[in-house]
Amino acid sequence: MFNLHYKLEKYSIRFAVAIILVAAVGGIVEIAPLFTIDETVEQDPNMRVYTPLELAGRNIYIREGCYACHSQMIRTLRDEVERYGHYSLAVESQYDHPMLWGSKRTGPDLARVGEKYSDAWHVRHLTNPRAVVPESVMPSYTWLEKDLRTKDLGQHLAALRKVGVPYTDAMIEHAAQDAYGQANPDSDAAAGVEERYGEATHIRSFDGDSRKTSEMDALVAYLQILGRLSDAATQTPPSAAPSTAESSVTEEAPDGN
Amino acid sequence: MIQQLTKFERRFGLVISVLVAGAGLTLIGMSEDGLLAIHGTIILAAGFIAALLTGGTIHEPEPDAKRLESYYDDPIKFGIIVSMIWAVFGMFMGVWVATLLAYPEWTFDAAWSSFGRLRPVHTTGVIFGFGGNALIATSFHVMQRTSRARMADQLSPWFVLLGYNLFCILAVSGYFMGITQSKEYAEPEWYADIWLVIVWVAYFALYMRTLARRREPHIYVANWYYLAFILVVAVLHIVNNLAVPVSFGHIKSYSAFSGVQDAMTQWWYGHNAVAFFLTAGFLGMLYYYLPKRAGRPIYSYRMSIIGFWGITFFYMWAGSHHLHFTALPQWVQTLGMTFSVMLLVPSWIAAANALLTLNGAWGKVRDDATLRFMFLAAVFYGLSTFEGSFMAIRSVNALSHYTDWTVGPVHAGALGWVALITFGSFYALVPWLWKREGMYSSKLVEVHFWLALSGTLVYVFAMWNSGVIQGLMWRTYNESGALAYSFNESMVAMHPYYIARAIGGLLFLAGAVVGFYNIWKTTKMDTVQSSVPSGDGLIADDASHSR
Amino acid sequence: MEIEHGALVYFSKFYGLIYLLLLSTGVLVYTFWPKNKKRFDYAAKSILTEEDHPHA
Ligand code: HEC
Ligand code: HEM
Ligand code: HEM
Repeated sequence: MFNLHYKLEKYSIRFAVAIILVAAVGGIVEIAPLFTIDETVEQDPNMRVYTPLELAGRNIYIREGCYACHSQMIRTLRDEVERYGHYSLAVESQYDHPMLWGSKRTGPDLARVGEKYSDAWHVRHLTNPRAVVPESVMPSYTWLEKDLRTKDLGQHLAALRKVGVPYTDAMIEHAAQDAYGQANPDSDAAAGVEERYGEATHIRSFDGDSRKTSEMDALVAYLQILGRLSDAATQTPPSAAPSTAESSVTEEAPDGN
Repeated sequence: MIQQLTKFERRFGLVISVLVAGAGLTLIGMSEDGLLAIHGTIILAAGFIAALLTGGTIHEPEPDAKRLESYYDDPIKFGIIVSMIWAVFGMFMGVWVATLLAYPEWTFDAAWSSFGRLRPVHTTGVIFGFGGNALIATSFHVMQRTSRARMADQLSPWFVLLGYNLFCILAVSGYFMGITQSKEYAEPEWYADIWLVIVWVAYFALYMRTLARRREPHIYVANWYYLAFILVVAVLHIVNNLAVPVSFGHIKSYSAFSGVQDAMTQWWYGHNAVAFFLTAGFLGMLYYYLPKRAGRPIYSYRMSIIGFWGITFFYMWAGSHHLHFTALPQWVQTLGMTFSVMLLVPSWIAAANALLTLNGAWGKVRDDATLRFMFLAAVFYGLSTFEGSFMAIRSVNALSHYTDWTVGPVHAGALGWVALITFGSFYALVPWLWKREGMYSSKLVEVHFWLALSGTLVYVFAMWNSGVIQGLMWRTYNESGALAYSFNESMVAMHPYYIARAIGGLLFLAGAVVGFYNIWKTTKMDTVQSSVPSGDGLIADDASHSR
Repeated sequence: MEIEHGALVYFSKFYGLIYLLLLSTGVLVYTFWPKNKKRFDYAAKSILTEEDHPHA
C-alpha cells in the first residue's frame, strides 16, 4: 500500500505549493503587522491582570457560551457609545486569551457591565433572568452554586504567563488561596489578594454566601470587573463630538493609521 | 467490507487502532480534571472497536485481485450515510436552538442543554459533521473518477473518515460538557485539534497519491477546489488553534494570541473557514456533479480557473470585515472591506458559470428535482455572496453587525448553498454508487426540494426583517436626542421572527429527514447491471460547445 | 518601534498590491494562452464519458 516509490508527482506538488503561496499572502499582510502594534496602541502601565477568581469566572463564561449572545466590544459608533459607554480600546483586551469580543448581540454588550448592577442583582438574574426581566430570553443558570474548583488555578496562571500575561511567581503560588480570599473578605486570605492585585480589587462575597467559594462567586466577580481593569478609556477623550449615527465617533482608528 | 482490505492493510489498521486506544488510555491516565478522562474513554472505545474489527479479520484470505479493476467506493457510501445522520442531528439542534430564542424555557434544567452549549453543537454538527463528511465522501468519488484511477490504498480513506468523525464526536460531546475554546468554528480543545491535524495529513497524502496515479494529463478543476479546501483549512486550523494547555492533564488551554491579534487571527480563520470549507469544497462538488447531471460540460472551463484563483487569493484578505469599527486598526478594516467587495467578482463568475451551464437545458431543470437542487444552490450562492459583499461595506456593517441580519445571509449560504448542493450531489451520486436504477422515489426528491426551498425562504426572510428592525431600533433617536428604544424593547420585537425562523427550520429539517429516508431506501433496492452515470436517463446533448 | 510598525504596514500594503497585479496577470495569461485551449476543452468534456472503472 504505502508505496513510497510512488514518488509524488511533480505537477500536483507544484500545484499544492502554488495554492498555499497564493492564499497565504492576504493573511500575512494583515496579521503580521498587528504583532508590532503593541507599541503603537494606547498603553496602560497600570492595567491589572485578572485575579484567579475572576479568571475562573471568565472560564465559566466561556464554558457556558455566554459569548454566543453577548459581545464585549463597543464599536466606535455614537449610538453604541451612548448605550454602552466609551468605545472599547485595544489595550483593554490585551490580556484576554482568547478575546471575547463576540459576533452576536442577542443580549446587550457586556464590555462595561462591571459595577452597573449589584452582586445580588446578578445572582438573581443569572439564576432566573425572567425573575428580573420578565421578557428576557436569556437561559437560567441554576447550576452555578456548586463549589468552585480552585486547586489548579496556579497552573492556569502559569499557562497564561507562558503566553505573555505578567503573573508573578507569588500570584501563581497563592492562586488557590487568593481565589478563596477574594470571595471571603473576613478570612485571613483576603489580605493577600489586595496586596497582590491592588486596592481597587473587589473583595467580597459575591454570591452572598460566605461559607463557600462557588462558581457563582467567580462568574459575578468576573462580570463586576468588566471594563474596569484599565482606566485608559476614562483618560482618552471619550465620545468627543459624536457626529451622526452613521459615521463613527473616531474617523481615525486608535492606531492613527 | 473489511475483508476487502489486504492482509497488510488489516494488520496496519490493527496497529493504528491499538495506537489510538493507547492514546485514549494515556489521556485517561494523565487526566487531572475528570473531563479529559471522559474524552480519553471515547478515544479508547473508538480504538478498541477498530482493533476488534481489523484484528478479527486478520487471518482472512487476501481479497480478490479483481477489486483493482473497479473504483474503491465503500468509504464513500459510508461517508454519505454518516453525513446524512449528522445533517438530521445538526439541523434538529438548529431548530431547538431557534426555538430557545423564542421560548427560553423549552429545555431541560441542566447545564448541557442550555443555549450557549447547544449553539456550537448546531454549528459544528452541520458544518463539520454534515458538510465535512459530504466533502470528504464526494472528494473521494471525484478524485477517482476524474483521475480514472483507483484510490492509492484502501486503508487511508477509512482512517480519514473514521478519524474525522472521531474528531466531530469529541467536539460535540465536549460542548455538552462545557469543553470549548470559545473561538467560533474552532471550539474543540487542544487534543482534538492535534488529532485533526493527523487525520488531515493522511487526507492530503491520500489525495496527492491518488492524483499521482491519474490517467489524465490535466487535473480536472473540481480537484483544484477540493485541494484548496484541504490545504488552506490545514493552515488555518493550525495557526488559529495555537495554544498552551494548562497541563497535559487538563482539557483547558489558553490561546497563544490575545486581544486585537486574537480577534484578527480568529476572523482570518473564521472567514476563510467559510471560504475554503463552505465555499471552495462545495464548488468542487458543483463543478463535477452539475455538469455530470446536466449531461453537458461546464459552460466555461476558463471561467472556472479564473474564479478559482480569484477566490483563493481574495478571500484571505477579507476576514477583517468581521471587525469593522472595533479596536482593530482602521487600515486593516478598509483593506478587508475592499477585498470583500472585489470578492464578488470571482464568486459571481462561479455562480454564473453554473447557471450558464444549465442555459439551454431548462427543460431538464424543470423536470429533474436533483438538477433543480443544484440550480437553486447556484442561485443562493450568488445571493449570499452578494449580501456578504454588501454587509462588508463599513456603513452597512455598522447597521448589520451583531444583529440577526448576519444570521440571514449565513443561512442563505448554509441552507441555500451548502445544504442544497450537497443534497443535489447526493441524489445524483447515490444511485450511481449503489448501482441502482434511480432513487427509491423521485416523488420524495421532489417533496424534499419544496420543503427545502420553502424552509430556506421562510428562514431568510424572517432574519432579514428581524435584523434590520433590530439594527434600526438600536440606533434610532427620539426628538429630544436620546436613544428611542431600550435593548429589551428590541429583544421583544424579535419574538415573532424567531417563531417564524423556527418554523422555517422545521420545514428544512423535515426535508432532510425525507432525504435520509429516501437515500436509505435506495440502498436497499436491487442492483442493476449498469448504472447511468449522468443521472436518471438524462442523455448528454450538444456536448460539443466550449468556451 | 513606532517606525517599525509603520514600515511594516507600508511594506505589506505595497507588496500586497504588486502581488495582486502580478498574480492576476499570470492567471489571465495562463487561462487565455491559446495552446491551453485544447487541454481545457478536453478536460471539460472528459468527465462526461460514461465508463465507470479505472483505466488500467
Ligand atoms: C440566549 C442568549 C443569552 C445567553 C446564552 C446569555 N445571555 Fe445574558 N442576556 C441575554 C439577554 C436577551 C439579555 C437582556 C435581558 C435580560 O436582562 O435578561 C441578557 C442580559 C444579561 C445581563 C445584563 C446586561 C445589562 O446591561 O443589562 C448580564 C450581566 C448577562 N446577560 C450575563 C450573562 C452571562 C454571564 C451569561 C452566561 C452565563 C449569559 N448572560 C448568557 C441573553 C443571553
Ligand atoms: C434546520 C435548519 C437550521 C436552523 C433552524 C438553524 C438555526 C440556527 C440558529 C437559531 C442559530 C443561532 C443564531 C443566533 O445565535 O442568533 C444558528 C446559527 C448558525 N447556523 Fe444554523 N440553522 C439551520 C441550519 C444550518 C445549516 C445547514 C448550516 C450550515 C451548513 C448552519 C450554519 C450556522 C452557522 C454558521 C451559524 C452561526 C451564525 C453566526 O454566528 O452568525 N445552520 N442556526
Ligand atoms: C463574497 C463572499 C462573501 C462575503 C464578502 C461575506 C461577507 C460577510 C460579512 C461582511 C459578514 C458579517 C460579519 C459581521 O458583521 O460580523 C459575514 C458573516 C458570515 N458569513 Fe459571509 N460572506 C461571503 C460569503 C459567504 C458564504 C458563501 C458563506 C457560506 C455559508 C458565508 C458564511 C458566513 C458566516 C457563517 C458568517 C457569520 C460569522 C459569525 O459571525 O459567526 N459567507 N460574511
